[in-house]
Amino acid sequence: MMSEKKVFIIPCSGIGKVFGSIGRETAYIVVNELAKGKSALECLPLIVKGKKEVIDKLKLNKVIAIDGCPLKCSYNNLMENVGKVDAQFMTTDNVKENRDLRPESSIIPIGEHTKQLSKKLAVKVSQEVDDLLKQNKEGE
Amino acid sequence: MRKKVGIIACSGEELLGGTLSRAAARIVVEKLRPQETIILCAPLFAAGGLERHGGQEERNFAKEHPTITIEGCEEECAKIAVDKYSGPPTATFYIKEFIDAHPKLKPVSREDLGEEGMKLAEIIAEKIAKKVDELFIS
Repeated sequence: MMSEKKVFIIPCSGIGKVFGSIGRETAYIVVNELAKGKSALECLPLIVKGKKEVIDKLKLNKVIAIDGCPLKCSYNNLMENVGKVDAQFMTTDNVKENRDLRPESSIIPIGEHTKQLSKKLAVKVSQEVDDLLKQNKEGE
Repeated sequence: MRKKVGIIACSGEELLGGTLSRAAARIVVEKLRPQETIILCAPLFAAGGLERHGGQEERNFAKEHPTITIEGCEEECAKIAVDKYSGPPTATFYIKEFIDAHPKLKPVSREDLGEEGMKLAEIIAEKIAKKVDELFIS
C-alpha cells in the first residue's frame, strides 16, 4: 500500500538573524499543530548534501519552502537538489505585513512578537498545505 | 585581517541534535566569545547555485579563517559542506557525544530544549569556546 502523501515543510537553516527563527518556528507550529499528520519536516542540510532517501521522498510529495532572507537557501537548494518547490514563503514579507509586531532580536529564546509572527505565518502555510493536498487528490 | 573563527552548526530542523547545535552556536557567538567568532549558515556552503546569490562570501570566509563545525547527527552535513568548498574545518564537535556524556541532562524536544537541554547546550558551547581560545593562542 502506498503511504499517505504529506506536504514537506522546509525552513531555511538560518541562525544568524531572527528571520530564520520565524521560519523554523512556523514550520514547527505547522507540523505539530495546524497541519499535524498532513505535513512533515526534513533537514535542509541533508537536502543540500543530496541524501538520496530524502530527495526521493521530496520528489514524491509536495514541498513548501520558508526562507528568512533574500539568499533563499531553502528555495534555491530545493530547486537545485529536488528540482521543484510547490509553494514558497518569505518570513520578511510576514514581518512587513505585521509592522505592529516588530520581532525581537533574540534568537534563543525567541521573543513574544517573534512567536506571534510565526503563528500568523503558520496559519498561511497550513492553508497552503490543505490546498496542495487538495491538488494531490484532484490529480489522482 | 582580524582573526575570527567561523562557527557552523548543522542546525538540522528535523532533529534534536540540530536544535542543540544551533543553541550551542548561538551561546558561543552571543555570550561566550562574541568578539572572536561569527555564525556561518551551513546550507550556503553546499548550494552550488547560490554563488550567483552571494553564497560565495561564506565559502571564502571559511577559506581564510579557522572554522568549527557542530554536527547534530552522524551525517556530518556541516563538516562535509565546509570540507568540500573551503577546506577541512579546524575542529568538529558531535552533539551525540555530549548527549552520551551527560545522560542526566534530558532536553525536552527539538522544538523546546527546556532547562536541562539549555544546560547541555551551554556545556557544548563552553567546550567550543575553549577550542576558540586555543585557536587564538596558536
